[in-house]
Amino acid sequence: MNNIIRTEHAAKSYKSGEITTTALKDVSLEILQGSFTCIIGPSGHGKSTLMHLIGGLDRPTDGKVYIGDVEISRIPNSDLARLRGKRVGFVFQFFNLMQGLTAIENVEIAMMLAGVPDREQRVRAVKLLALVGLAEKAGAKPGQLSGGQQQRVAIARALANDPDILLMDEPTGNLDSVAEAEVLDLLQTLHRQGKTVVIVTHSDEVAKRAERIIRVKDGLVAH
Amino acid sequence: MNLSKLVYKNITRRRGRFLFTLLGITIGIASFVTFMALGGSLKDEIHRETAALGANLVVIPKGSCGYEQLSILTGDQMPTNISAAEIATIRAIKGLTVVPFLAQQTAINNKPVTVSGIEPEATLAFKRWQISQGAYFSNPDETGVVIGATAARQFDLKPGATVTVRGEKLPVLGILGETGGRDDATLFLSLPVAQRLFKSADKVSYAAIRVDDLARTEGYIEKIREATGLGVVSDKQMLKSVLGIVGTVNITLQMIAAVSVLAAAFGIINTMMAATYERKREIGILQALGARRRTIFLLFMLESGFYGIIGGVTGVITGLATAVIVTPYISQNAFTTFVKGSGSGDIIDIKMIAGSILFSTVVAIVAGIYPAWRAARLTPVEAISYE
Ligand SMILES: Nc1ncnc2c1ncn2[C@@H]1O[C@H](COP(=O)(O)OP(=O)(O)O)[C@@H](O)[C@H]1O
Ligand SMILES: [Mg+2]
Repeated sequence: MNNIIRTEHAAKSYKSGEITTTALKDVSLEILQGSFTCIIGPSGHGKSTLMHLIGGLDRPTDGKVYIGDVEISRIPNSDLARLRGKRVGFVFQFFNLMQGLTAIENVEIAMMLAGVPDREQRVRAVKLLALVGLAEKAGAKPGQLSGGQQQRVAIARALANDPDILLMDEPTGNLDSVAEAEVLDLLQTLHRQGKTVVIVTHSDEVAKRAERIIRVKDGLVAH
Repeated sequence: MNLSKLVYKNITRRRGRFLFTLLGITIGIASFVTFMALGGSLKDEIHRETAALGANLVVIPKGSCGYEQLSILTGDQMPTNISAAEIATIRAIKGLTVVPFLAQQTAINNKPVTVSGIEPEATLAFKRWQISQGAYFSNPDETGVVIGATAARQFDLKPGATVTVRGEKLPVLGILGETGGRDDATLFLSLPVAQRLFKSADKVSYAAIRVDDLARTEGYIEKIREATGLGVVSDKQMLKSVLGIVGTVNITLQMIAAVSVLAAAFGIINTMMAATYERKREIGILQALGARRRTIFLLFMLESGFYGIIGGVTGVITGLATAVIVTPYISQNAFTTFVKGSGSGDIIDIKMIAGSILFSTVVAIVAGIYPAWRAARLTPVEAISYE
C-alpha cells in the first residue's frame, strides 16, 4: 500500500501583530491510501491546522507536505486550488453549505468549479444525494434540513469530483448520536469503496471505527 | 449550476439591499440620462433657431451680453432700447436688408407666449413665411395678430377668433405655415400696435440684418457701430456666445449627474463590501471546493457588473421617461424654452441609450474592484475560521 499523504517536519505558526502562535511544532506522518484514520486530541492543540495542511488549504511555515508524489507545500496557489477541487473532499463542523442554495445546487457547485458541464452536474448530484439518502431533499435549502442532513449533503458535495481523500473536521461534532451513527455508516461505506478517510474528532464513537488513531498534543504527534 | 446562476442567486438573496442598491444606480443613471437628453436637445435647438432667424447680423443695444443674444433665439422678453432713428440710420447704409423686432411676452390661458412686433412687409420678405390659414397683415399698422402654427394649435386659435394682449382684444388675422423654429410658437403684431400696447413708442428690441455681400460682413459691422453706437454681432458670433452660455449650464447639469452617479457607485461599493463580509465563510468553502482566487474575484465582479447592467437599463428608462414627462412642465425661461421646443423624438437616441448602459456597467465594475479584490485576497483558512 502507498502513502497518499505524507508530512516531513511540518510546522505552522500564525503571526498576528507581535504575537506568534505556534499551532504545529514538528509533525512527520504518513497516511496510507484507503485507510480510515482519526485525529484526536485536546482542543486548541493543532488538529484543524494539521488537517488544513494535509488538504492543501494552508501552507506550512516549515517542512514539507505531500499528496501522492506532489509536494503541495510548494506548488502555486491556483494549482493548489485545482488539487483541492479534484483530489480532496472537505467537510467542516458547521456552516458547510451555501445558505442561499438548495441541497442539489450545493452539490453541483463543487462540479461547476471543476468545469463539469451543467447537465452532467445535475445527473451526478442526483446520484450523490441518493447515495447519502437525501434524494427527496434535493430542493431543500440548508435551513430546511436537520444538522445531520446538512452534514450528509456536505459529504455528497465532498464526493462530487470523486476525490481520493475525504478530510473531515469534527463532522459529527454538532450531531446527536442517531445522526452521528448515520453519518459514520456512510463514511464506512465510502471507506470500503476505497476512499482515504481522515477525521478530526472528539467523539469516542467515531474513534472506535477508525483503523488508526493519531494523537495530537501541543502541536506534536504523540506516538 | 453555473457562475451566472450563482451570481444571480447571490445578488437576490437579500432582496431589500438588492432593491435599494439598484434604486441608487437607477437614480444616478436616470439623472445622467435626463441631463444628457435635455442638454443635447438644447444645443440642437440653438443651431436650429439660429438658422431659422435667417440673419447674417444682429443689432442689439450697446453693452448687451450673451444672455440678450440667447433671448433673441428663445423669444424671451427683451428691453426696447433701439430707436426708430437708429434703425433708419442703419437702413441708410447700402447693401443691407434690415428688419426690426420688438420682443415681448404675454399670456394666453395663463401660459406664457412670445409676442413679436414686426414690420409686416419687410418681415414677410425676410422670413419667407407661408400663410396657411386666413390672411396676413394688409397694412403696416393693422390691429390684429398673425399666429405661428404651433401656438395656433396649442391654444386652438383660428382666423376670426380673438386674443387678449395687454387687456386689448385683438382679432386673429391668419395662421403661418410651419417654420420649424421659434416663430411657430409666436404671436405677431404689427410694430405700431405692439409699441402702443407695450408702451414703447418708436423703440424696438433688436434688428436682424441680411447683407448682400457676405465677404464684406466685417466692414458692415464696423459701419453700423460707427453710425449708431449700437452693438452688432454676426450670426457666427451669436452662435458661439449662446453655445457658451448653454455649455456652462450643461456643465452644471453634468456635475449634478456626476455626483449622483458617484453616490450610486459608493452604494455599490457599500453593498459589495457587506456581501464580502457576510459571505466570508462561504468564500472559504468555495476555496476548499477548489475555487481559485480569480474565480472568487470574478464572482464578485460579475455581481457588481450585474448591478450596473440592470441599473443602467432601469436608469435609462426612468431618465427618458423623466425627460419626456417633465419637459413640458419646465417653467418658461431662456434655457428651458429650447427644451420645450424640441420634440421627444430627439431625446430618444439609441447611441445615448447604449452608451448610458455601458457607462453604468463600467461604473459598477470599477466600484466592484475593491470589494472583489478584498474577497479574493482572503486565504482559505482565514475565510473558513471565520464564524
Ligand atoms: N488563523 C489563526 N490565527 C492565529 N492563531 C490560530 C489560527 N488558527 C489557529 N490558531 C491557533 O493555533 C492553535 C491550534 O489551533 P487548531 O488547529 O484550530 O486547534 P484544534 O483544531 O486542535 O482545536 C490554537 O492555539 C489556535 O488558537
Ligand atoms: Mg479544530
